Amino acid sequence: MSEPTSLALAILALPLAAAVLAWLSAANATTKKLAHLPLILACAAAAVLAVILLGQMLDGHESRYTSEPLTWFAAGQLDVHFTITVDALATVMLGMITFIATFIALFSSGYMHGDRGYARFFAVMSFFVFSMCGLVLANNFLLLVAFWEGVGLCSYLLVGYYFEKPSAAAAARKAFLVTRLGDTGFLLGIFLLWKMGGGHTDLDLLFAHIRDHPPDPGLLTTACLLLFCGAVGKSAQFPLYVWLPDAMEGPTPVSALIHAATMVTAGVYLLARCAPLFVLCPEAQIVVAGVGGITALLAAFLALGQTDLKRILAYSTVSQLGYMFMALGTGGAISPAFAVGAAMFHLFTHAFFKALLFLSAGSVMHAMGNVIDITRFSGLRKVLPITHLTFLCGAAALAGVPLLSGFWSKDLILESLTEASESASPYSAGYFVLFLNACLTAGLTAFYTFRAYFLTFWGPEKIPAEAGDHAHESPRSMTIPLMVLAVGAVFVGGVVQPFTHWFSDFLGTSPSLTETQAPIARAVEHHLNWTLISISASLAIAGIVLAYVLYRDGQEKPLGGIDTLLALSRNKLYVDEVYYALIVRPAEVLAFLVRVFDGFLDGLTRLVAAMPRLLAALIRPLQNGLVQFYALAMALGLTVFVAFVIFRMAR
Amino acid sequence: MSITAVLRIVVLLLVLMPLVSALILPMLGRWSRRAALLLALVHGGLTAAVVALAIPTLALRADDDARRGSGSLVFQPEFVPGDTYARFNDEGSDGRTRWTLFRLSANSSQPGPNIQFFLGIDGLNLWLVALASFLLVPAILISWNTVADQPGSYFGWLFLLQAGLIGCFLAFDVILFYVFFELTLIPAFFLIGRWGVGSGRRDAARKFFLYTLAGSLLTLLGIIGVVLTNPVPVHPETGFPTQNVLVKVEVPDAGSPTGKSREFVWAKRIHTFSLPDLMNAVPRWLTAEKAAQTALTEAQREMELAQALVRAGEKELAQRRAALEAARQGKDGAAIRAAEAAEQHALQMLNDWRANWQAAVRLSDSATKLLPEARRLQANASQLQFWLFVALMAGLMVKVPVWPFHTWLPAAYGEAPIGVVMLLSGLMAKLGTFGMVRLVLPLVPDAAIHYGLPVIGVLASVGIVYAAFCALASKDMKLLIAYSSISHLGFLVLGIFAFNSEGLSGAVLHMINHGLSTGALFAVLGFFTTRYGTTEMARFGGLMGRFPVLAVLTFVLALASVGLPGLNNFVSEMLMLAGLFRTNNPHVTNLWPAVVAAFGIFLGAWYTLTMLQRVFFNPLKEPQPIITTPVNDVNNREFSALGLLALLCLVLGLFPQLVLDTMKPDIQILANIGDAARTR
Repeated sequence: MSEPTSLALAILALPLAAAVLAWLSAANATTKKLAHLPLILACAAAAVLAVILLGQMLDGHESRYTSEPLTWFAAGQLDVHFTITVDALATVMLGMITFIATFIALFSSGYMHGDRGYARFFAVMSFFVFSMCGLVLANNFLLLVAFWEGVGLCSYLLVGYYFEKPSAAAAARKAFLVTRLGDTGFLLGIFLLWKMGGGHTDLDLLFAHIRDHPPDPGLLTTACLLLFCGAVGKSAQFPLYVWLPDAMEGPTPVSALIHAATMVTAGVYLLARCAPLFVLCPEAQIVVAGVGGITALLAAFLALGQTDLKRILAYSTVSQLGYMFMALGTGGAISPAFAVGAAMFHLFTHAFFKALLFLSAGSVMHAMGNVIDITRFSGLRKVLPITHLTFLCGAAALAGVPLLSGFWSKDLILESLTEASESASPYSAGYFVLFLNACLTAGLTAFYTFRAYFLTFWGPEKIPAEAGDHAHESPRSMTIPLMVLAVGAVFVGGVVQPFTHWFSDFLGTSPSLTETQAPIARAVEHHLNWTLISISASLAIAGIVLAYVLYRDGQEKPLGGIDTLLALSRNKLYVDEVYYALIVRPAEVLAFLVRVFDGFLDGLTRLVAAMPRLLAALIRPLQNGLVQFYALAMALGLTVFVAFVIFRMAR
Repeated sequence: MSITAVLRIVVLLLVLMPLVSALILPMLGRWSRRAALLLALVHGGLTAAVVALAIPTLALRADDDARRGSGSLVFQPEFVPGDTYARFNDEGSDGRTRWTLFRLSANSSQPGPNIQFFLGIDGLNLWLVALASFLLVPAILISWNTVADQPGSYFGWLFLLQAGLIGCFLAFDVILFYVFFELTLIPAFFLIGRWGVGSGRRDAARKFFLYTLAGSLLTLLGIIGVVLTNPVPVHPETGFPTQNVLVKVEVPDAGSPTGKSREFVWAKRIHTFSLPDLMNAVPRWLTAEKAAQTALTEAQREMELAQALVRAGEKELAQRRAALEAARQGKDGAAIRAAEAAEQHALQMLNDWRANWQAAVRLSDSATKLLPEARRLQANASQLQFWLFVALMAGLMVKVPVWPFHTWLPAAYGEAPIGVVMLLSGLMAKLGTFGMVRLVLPLVPDAAIHYGLPVIGVLASVGIVYAAFCALASKDMKLLIAYSSISHLGFLVLGIFAFNSEGLSGAVLHMINHGLSTGALFAVLGFFTTRYGTTEMARFGGLMGRFPVLAVLTFVLALASVGLPGLNNFVSEMLMLAGLFRTNNPHVTNLWPAVVAAFGIFLGAWYTLTMLQRVFFNPLKEPQPIITTPVNDVNNREFSALGLLALLCLVLGLFPQLVLDTMKPDIQILANIGDAARTR
């Protein structure tokens, strides 16, 4: 086995070991208090290993290392292996996951302190990180599904962490089921690919086979769209985004992990990994980009009216993921390396500032006695000075304030959309519409982010009763991660990409992005597009200024005509209610009816079984035991018989 | 004695031991449950030995098949007690037994229809036998404190049920299979009717008994039909089975110079109950016309050759005669004599060739004469397949059960004691699916292709969705899991009728996996019934904090049932799904079975997680306990039962390949049968 794959396996093994250790620590009250240590140490060690791995990949001789495949299960033509692959795409993801997870783990050790399920929390968190690392490394579709479902399981357990809270229990089930609905399509897509991909399930072999033996385009498009179903579920895209805002029922660090490093990024990663298939299907790609565009705008609109700080952040995640899918959808129209690079770069920067924002929100929540409704507190600048600054960094990065991380990555996505609209793709007009859509969303993003910021931290100081009189800044274990992530949120984007193109160049070495080229792909040079930069910068600043004008005193005030619109947004456009009325309720009614019908079916069976008895009841009166009756019957019978015989003979 | 010889005895013990245990246990009174546990553990040990020793043998066979490029169409049981060669040589074996139970032929010297005590191990039944042996241990542990009334008899009936199950899995004689199949009904009837938990137990037991009996009598009809319509073709002179329904024999013929001539005649037909022999015979009758056609072609070719020879001989004779005339003109005595001799020789040759030609004509005539009959026989065999398929499937579909023949199940599972439900859901349901694999696919392969997926598949698909919705609407955990079992088994039936390697591997593996996880889920319910006497969901809530160990075990088992990767059901479900993607069935061109199956997986998650949410999440809520002692988390007995089951689910989820490898040769045999049927 080559060196990088052993390193990757070590990265994979660390959080798994941490999960086992944390689980075992629950046995004893003293060790239970130390349950956070395995996760923090494992993530930190894994992050260090990931950096070493990055170094190896940078001056490596090969662009991809694959481990020896070990059979998991095989029968007939289905051959499923345990096999991992290390390339630039996986390395970047690994580094990001382990780095972010380290600080979230550190934050959680303070945030979850003294909780009853301390060990359970860290055991599942470790398994979460393990599953995500495995998902990134898997080189076999079904192995990928295994980790994919592992991520889903962990999110289920963590969202439902406060199991006694009915809303948490419902949210956990909703998260699992909605993503599982997408996974149904995902599985069908995998088997469709297996069928037309020469019986391969290993990603590299499958992609190579499809490249060399192009299948029926309609079938390939179907398969890609089915794979996309999985991504739609996992990455909370329209119409399956509804689970993500509810998923903040879990502890805040879990939300940070789900929204930043793990879970929702899985869908984006899946499409990036499967780029060799998607670039061959322009129809699938415009659907991907279109769904991303709809989601981005819709979620941004829904974020406008929310009063729950975490919910605003959740909708912003949905919206930003929509951005990433828009970028992914341009692959094929433009060179896949550029499109995927843009999406992955936004994923990378987004992980930093979204983790930061959620942890800051957690810090606010911690101080406010678990109150998270932004209308119930304001002016927290003085009370939570560090949290205020770090939240501001995150919000500015999310809003796309020039020179911050989010600005650079959003810019790259806008650029990929403009390039796609000028490409030879049959859907270039569609990409132009999506570009306009992305600009509008960018403005909305800046507005709702800063609305949340101003309502929380500006205006007169107002603290809810739940916080008591001891509202104070969070302990060191929580503020240090905030500061580290704030630095990341501000600088990381500017450092790795805009002037050196280091990030996209490195990512571009991934064989899956270079080996398959779409015939119509437009080659794109990395350069600073000043027009775009000025457009996106002015949109961001306009949004912030508008938020400042409206909310600088920390109070929501009536806005006249827009209020109905905001109310619509606050009620989430009644999408949950519509889904309930159109899907869940009919299913429940149907279930009830089926159950009733089952009783009917049982009755029918009993009826059939009663037939012999019924027949017997009809015939039984004949055997009445009266000799006279028998004699009469005999005489009648004889008469009939004789008459018959005579009649026959006479003829 | 060699290991193989020992194993033959152990295989026999696997059936006999539970039978003997069933007799002993009722006499032991209050010691009976300890004795039952001990006997179950000993039986488990024996099974473990068989499994451990059978794996290398079966693996060797897989290698052999791989070398030969296996095209085998016949099951090949190993370790057959009473093997025909066993008395001469321990190692030699042809996988046939000489233990005859009933001889139906007139005199004993004739090979005839014999019902035999024919048991054996192959890749398909090895793991099911292991499951049947193993699952009794947790079933006994779960029933430990629940049986107050005559525990000896209760455990005795449990062992009789196990004997029936194992016997049915091991049987290679179709009548023996049926006998064991029905044997399971009697203990199940008494276990439900007498030790049932609800007030409707007698009604449930009666319904269960009559419904399954009605179905399986039809199956018996089907079995007899198969036996009667598929006799083994035997060479009339040598007495050995032949590959062909037509054989060439020499008959006395006065017209021929040798006094004999060759003719095609029908092979002698001998009825058999041996499954491998039937499997040999079935394709012969399905291809009777083709065989006759081949024979005719062969005879005609021979005739043409003979005719050409005759023509050549005539030409030769003419030449010789011309030469003789020329010689006579030359008046040279010696030359004339030589020419005369040549002429005589040519004449003789011609006569020989003419005789040869006549023989060939006679052979060809005999083949021509048989052709219409052969055509009729083949058409007959094909048409009969449908009716035999219906008859065979009737009992199996009730047993599984396949929608809409499932209505006995909710009542029976709802009323039966937990330990019995474990065996009913985990094993007895598998008799139905196992019967499809063991009898239906090999004996009526053409009908299984024609009507399997298009008709039974539709029922199974409806069942998947229907039962899932019933589960969703169920308010009682026991009913919910009972309906979920119907839903999962619908998927299994789809996998079987995909009739290819992936689908069948998945289906056979799923029998084991589903037996483990569903059996285990019912075992979890034992926790509730012993403590609270109820499994109604609305009366529980928030148990995760109250019983953390139970929660972990239940989550693992429930998630295994949902098909979470890393746990056992995922592997078999994926294999079956793959099988449904390449059914290669002329009547099912699109992928609807796969789509329904995948949707079924989603519905499975829906109702299972709903159950978990209601019982383990939300604020704590528990009904009045029925025991006087404080209600605690799982005790050691329950922990070992559930923990072992959960561990097995995990192990089979991560390392299923050993199981798949051992069943590979036999799955390949079935896949070959399917391919042969598709080309017909």
